[in-house]
This record gives sequence, structure tokens and C-alpha cells, in this order.
Amino acid sequence: MDLDALGTCLTTPACVVTQATSGLIVGMLLFLVAAGLTLIFGVLKIVNFAHGTFYMLGGYVAFSTLALTDSYALAVVAAALAMALFGVLFERLLIARVYGSNVLMQLLICYAVVLIFDDVVKIVWGPDFHAMGMPPAFQVAPLFIAGGVVPPFYAVLIGIAAVIAIVLGAGLALTRLGKTVRAAAHNPAMVSALGVNTTMLFAIVFAVGGALAGLAGALAAPVRSLSPGMGFSILIESFIVTVIGGMGSIAGALVAALVIGLLRGFGTIGFPMFTDGLTYVAMILILVTRPHGLFGREVA
Amino acid sequence: MTLRPALRDALIAAVALVVLLLIPAFHRSPAFEDYVIRVSAMALFATSLNLLVGGAGMVSFGHGMFYGLGAYAFALLMQMTDLSLPVAALAAIVITAVGALLVGAVCIRLGTIYFAFVTLAMQMLFYSIIISWQSLTGGDQGLRGGIPRRELFGFELGSQLHLYQLCAVVMVLGLLAMRHISASPFGATLRMIRDNETRAGFLGVVLWRARLTAFVLAGAFAGLGGVLAALFVSGAYPELADWPNSGQAIFAVMLGGIDTFLGPLVGTMILLALNDVVTRVTEYHGLVLGLVILAFALGLRRGLLDFLRLRRKRTAP
Amino acid sequence: MSLEVRNLTKAFGGVKAIDDVSLVFPTGSLTAIIGPNGAGKSTFFNLITGAFPVDHGQVIFEGRDVTHLSRAARVREGIGRAFQVASCFPTMTVLENLMAAVTSHIGRWGNLSHRAPLPGVRERAMEVAEMVGLERVADVEASILSHGDQKLLDIALALALEPRVLLLDEPTAGMGPEERWRMIERVRALWERQKLTLVFIEHDMDIVFSVAASIRVLCYGRVLAEGTPDEIRSNQAVIDAYLGTEEHAA
Repeated sequence: MDLDALGTCLTTPACVVTQATSGLIVGMLLFLVAAGLTLIFGVLKIVNFAHGTFYMLGGYVAFSTLALTDSYALAVVAAALAMALFGVLFERLLIARVYGSNVLMQLLICYAVVLIFDDVVKIVWGPDFHAMGMPPAFQVAPLFIAGGVVPPFYAVLIGIAAVIAIVLGAGLALTRLGKTVRAAAHNPAMVSALGVNTTMLFAIVFAVGGALAGLAGALAAPVRSLSPGMGFSILIESFIVTVIGGMGSIAGALVAALVIGLLRGFGTIGFPMFTDGLTYVAMILILVTRPHGLFGREVA
Repeated sequence: MTLRPALRDALIAAVALVVLLLIPAFHRSPAFEDYVIRVSAMALFATSLNLLVGGAGMVSFGHGMFYGLGAYAFALLMQMTDLSLPVAALAAIVITAVGALLVGAVCIRLGTIYFAFVTLAMQMLFYSIIISWQSLTGGDQGLRGGIPRRELFGFELGSQLHLYQLCAVVMVLGLLAMRHISASPFGATLRMIRDNETRAGFLGVVLWRARLTAFVLAGAFAGLGGVLAALFVSGAYPELADWPNSGQAIFAVMLGGIDTFLGPLVGTMILLALNDVVTRVTEYHGLVLGLVILAFALGLRRGLLDFLRLRRKRTAP
Repeated sequence: MSLEVRNLTKAFGGVKAIDDVSLVFPTGSLTAIIGPNGAGKSTFFNLITGAFPVDHGQVIFEGRDVTHLSRAARVREGIGRAFQVASCFPTMTVLENLMAAVTSHIGRWGNLSHRAPLPGVRERAMEVAEMVGLERVADVEASILSHGDQKLLDIALALALEPRVLLLDEPTAGMGPEERWRMIERVRALWERQKLTLVFIEHDMDIVFSVAASIRVLCYGRVLAEGTPDEIRSNQAVIDAYLGTEEHAA
């Protein structure tokens, strides 16, 4: 514990800006992954334990696309599309077979997919860490805000995630599909009674969730290293985010992701050995005081 | 009439124990003995988890924390005090039970999915405490220096044979004790809660007390498994309390079957054997394991023993 | 007086589901509660049994205020209930269901030192099964019982606790006409033999008027009328609010 360092940082604008930016990066990546998780949970009542795998594969797809085409924009799009497709296949081929059966069966299938694709990544890309490096377009002088260094890519990443949050929120609130999704989260029986094609709906939800996770993987690739198993740590953290935010709530995921991101950003200064622990303590505190999360409704 | 099933279980346990103890007299195989030792720790862990999952419908993702707590508590007690082995083991189990009481007090009122993830978060918190409290636990290097060898009734636990014998006895007795719990009136109460907690409440069951009791008992038996694990690795490592270990236990439970008492034991045996064989054949052991899990989950749709029992039930009449 | 409620009130999100209800159920009476859908009948039962806390008012059982007791404590006091949708333990057999209930009743549900069943429990469970005529399916898993048998099992679970007041929430719900009469005859016989104070919610007016000695009518959370079947039949308010619409609908 180093509370002095934390105090010094909090009174220095440059340090605040730096830590807040890195906290926001973490928070936004978490939000993209958690949004898909919470969407899938809200509509299908399934906890997608394989969601971290989508994120990992998204990162690797972006890595290879960039190597082939030299275009980071293309890499991001390719990662999102590939993972949308992967999400649909995953849902149709595996998850759809165990709807209505034991929750543990669904968990087990996800666990299997995690194990399989960690090794697939090892076979295709090798077991070692890969660094994508900053795309050429962003290899420019950093921005200085109140004396704090902010790489331009960070600003872009935060911006993209913010746009996605707005688009997602507006889509759920305004479009027909969004309303169906919210209705399904609220009352699944009613939706199938109204004649909504649930097969299609479930596939779409998995596609969106997959695309968001793939996008997150692609955005994370320049700032984090790629490795088999990278999906797991983000999975646990985004679970915490969905649980804190309230499972099924996109707004909750956003708020919780930012809270966790900033907690980690400043936690590295104050509690360098216990940054992970802070996240868990936050989750436990929130669940003890609000058992359904910040924005959650009661679930079974 | 009431004695007969209890007697039958005791007989099965006695026969299993005698067979296990006799095997080394005919054939010494270090690999086999090593396997049984690992199975004993893991089987106690997995079966205790199933007291919650199959017995009471409480799916805990964080059960590994009690396995780890048992191992650390035991190893530290052995290193830092002069307690004899059984006393240290008992103390470690009591410590684990107290830990389970504290964690359970927070978690047991939560709904299924939140319960699963809050227990997971508790485990991750425990794991980060182990990692960051280096002066006590040795951090990510684990607790080194071994476990002092103290003789126990002429047993020398540095010898693999003696450790094997101890583990076999502890496993069989531990399983028998858990069998007794699940066959007791309290075990029936847990099944009521699993099936229909509202109705159980209206019948006069105090739900939180029943759940908390189950959680503490399960934690204590996981701690016993942790003690065996600490003996086996001669220390304690953070991996024992890490989440993949909980994942393995859940997998063992599912593989063997949640509705059959010996399911988790069978699941553990399959899982560890599979691990051993696969790691020898290929470095991509996750790939193979994953495919096997998929085959089980999509093919049988339930654990092996549950599958066999259901089939027998269908073909019997 | 066996059971009495005074000024009972409960609101959900500003809507009063039960609004200042005062009723008395004399010892050994057989009372039907009727009222249109949404009248608050099930909520009324939930308040008496302690499933929800009340906002105002009191629940008095045999002269004792039980308003603030937990539902488990009220069960121990002697208030039993069966549910609108049969509520039992699906993966256990009928006998196992009842043995578990009997074990709870004698306060031994937490027993760890013995094997189940405890001495005498099996015999008592079998007796309860015979009370409702379920001994023929004692070893059948509850999930594969017929609908009527599940309802009977639900009632039997309540009976295992030797209640002095038994609340039945629509014992004939979801049954065909003939099955309904058989069910209600069983309930009536049970009431006579066990000397219970029995309160049941029922929609079928023929059943209500032929079986119940006394009727309470709830409407929008309030007591609209109470009295004998003849009094209720001729009560203009009841006819307007409830029976009239029921007949039009039918």
C-alpha cells in the first residue's frame, strides 16, 4: 500500500490525466466486452463463459489482417465481422443444443471452447506473446493535456468506444430490433408469444456480442500484447463489470466499466500489489449493499 | 431397516479401502500411487463441491478458495508450530470452516447466478491476497521450504507408500462422511431447497441456516482435500486457490454426474487420467480436453454415472 | 377465534392490493373466499402466511399476534397452506416429499447425525399420504404425477405439519369438471375428519355455494360482503360487482 504516492498523484494534474486516461482505456475495453456479455445474458439468460475467447480471437485476427494489408481500419473491421460470424456459429452449432438444459452444461460447453481455442491460437500463431505495435497512422507526437501525456491512439480508442456506447444505447431505445431485445430481456415468454423469430433474435444477439468483443480485441491489440489465454483475465473482469452494473443492463455495464477502469488506473499507484483485489472488493461491496447490481432487476 | 443402507455404504467403503491398501503389496507402481494420491485430494474437493451443486443447487464457482485455504493453513501450521500432523490438519479444517462461514454469510442470500459469480470474486480476492501477502505466503512463488516431516503412528510421510496409505484412508473416510451427510435428514432438506426453496420455507426450513450449514460443511471438506494436496506438493501454491482449479472441480463433478454420490469421484478419476494421458501424447492438451468435454456435453448431456443410471432406469421396467 | 385479521393493508408500488381488510374465521369453520381476478385473494393468503410483510394491520392466530413472525415461525404455530400452482419437490417421490415435510415438522430438518428417515417418520408420512389418498403412488416421483395428484401432494405437504388452519389457494385450479368435484369432496372430507379451520379460494361458484358454510367476497382489495351462501347469493353488491359479470362471461 502506498497512500502517499496516491495522494501526490491526485494533487498533480499531469498524473491525474495520465492515470485517468489509462483507466479510461481499461474501462472502455471492459465496456465493449461486458456489453456483449450483458446483452447475451439479458436476452438468452446464458452466461457466455467463452466471451473472452471472442476478444482474444478478435485481437489475433486484427494482428494478421494488419500484417497482410497494412491497414489498421481494415483490421478492426475484419476482427469485428469475423467475430460476429464466429458468435453466430458458436450459438447455432453449440449453445443452441443445450437451451433449457442444466446451466452447468452451458458452462461446460463454453469452458470447452475456451480450452480448444487457446490451443488453436497456439497452433496458428504460436505460444509466444505477440506485440502488434502502434499502427503507423498513430505514430505521431502525443497530446499533452494539463501536463499529462496522452497518446493519440488512446483518445481515438476512447472516442470509438464512446460512439459505440451511444449507438448501442440509441439502437436499443429506438429501433424495432432494440425494443424486441429489451422485451425479450424483460419477459421471454411474451416475445415468442408475439411471434418474434427467436432463433433469428438469438443469432443476432450473439453476432452483436461477438462483434463488440472482436472490436475490443482489435482495439486492444496495439496497446496490449497478444497471447493465448488473454481472454481469460478480461472475461473475469467483464463479468465483474456486468455483475456490478446489473446483469442485462447496458447502462450499468458502462458505468461499472468506467468505475472499474478508473479504480484500476489509480489503484496501480496506491495499491500496486493489490490492484486486482480492489476490483473484487468493489464487487463484493456493491453486491452486499445492492444485491442486483447498480442498474439490475431481480434475476433468478 | 434404517441401518441397512448405512451398513451397505460402510461395507463398500471398507472393501474399497482394503483393495487400495493391498495393491502396493502386490505391485509397486509409483505412477499409480501418485495418481491415487492426486485423486484423493481432488475427489474430496469435487465431492464437497457437489454437496452444494448437486445436493442443494448452489453452484459455487469459488469453491477452490477453500481447497487453497486448507492447503495454506495446514502448510503454515506445520511450518510455524510444533503441532502434530492430525492436530494441524484438524486446525486447518476448522480455519477453512470459519473462512467458509464468513464468505457464506455474504453469499448465501444471493440468487443462483449472482451466487456463482460472487463466490468466484471471493476466490479471486483470496487469490490476490495470497499473491500480495508475500511475507506470509511467499506470494506467487508459493509456500516453500516443504512441510516438516513429523512421524505419525510410525508413518513417515516422506515415503510415497506411506503418503499413499494415508491419502487412501482419508479419502475413503471423507467420502463416507459426506455420504452420510447427503443421506441424513439434512441432506433431504438440501434437496428440498434445490427442488423448491419457497415450499421448503413454508414447511418450516430456515433457508439461510440450511444453506450456510451446507456451505460451511462443503468448505470444510474442501479444506480436507487441500490438506492432502499440501502434503502431496509439500507446501502450498497459489494455483491451488486459483480459478482453473475450481473449474477443474466443476468439470469433474459434471463429468461424473451430479445426481449420483460417486459421480464426482468418477469424474475426478477420468479427468486426472485424461490429463495424464493427453499431456504425454500432445502439448495441445486443452484442445483434446475441450473436444472430450464437448463430446460429453453434447452426446450424453449429463455426467457419466447419471447417464448410466438413467439408462438402467429406462430399460429396467 | 382461530384466525382473525384486523385492518390488513398491503400496497405494491402505490396500488393497494389489500386495503383495510378485517375478517374473522371461527375455529372449525369451512370458508370460501371468492372475488374477481386481481381482487387480492392470493395476496391475502401471502400476508397471512408471512410470504410478504404487511404495511398495516394485524394477523391474529388463536389470540396471538403473529403479524411479525417469519413464515417458518407461522408454520410452526399451525398455519398451513397449499398453492395455486401445485408446489412440491419434483425430483423426490411422494413418500420422500412427505417424509421431508414430516421431518421438518418435528424440527429435525437440520439433523446430521442420523440416516433419513428418522424413526417413525416413514410411518407418519404414509398416514398423511393415506389422508389424501396418495398411498397408491407413494413411490412415484412427484414430477410425473398427474395434475390432480400433484395438487393433492401439495395439500398433503401442508397436512404433514398438522396445521390447525389450512389455507388452500384454488385447490381445483386447472382441473376438469368431474375432477373438481372429486377434489373438493376430498377437501371437505378432510376438513370433517381432521377438524380443521379451512379457508379456500375458489372460482367455481357451484362448488362454492354447495360446499362452503360461509363465504367472504373480496373485490379490489376490500371486503365486499360476507355471510352464508344464501346471503351472498342475494347480496346486490356482489351480484353487480362479481356474479353478474361472471355469468355474462360464462
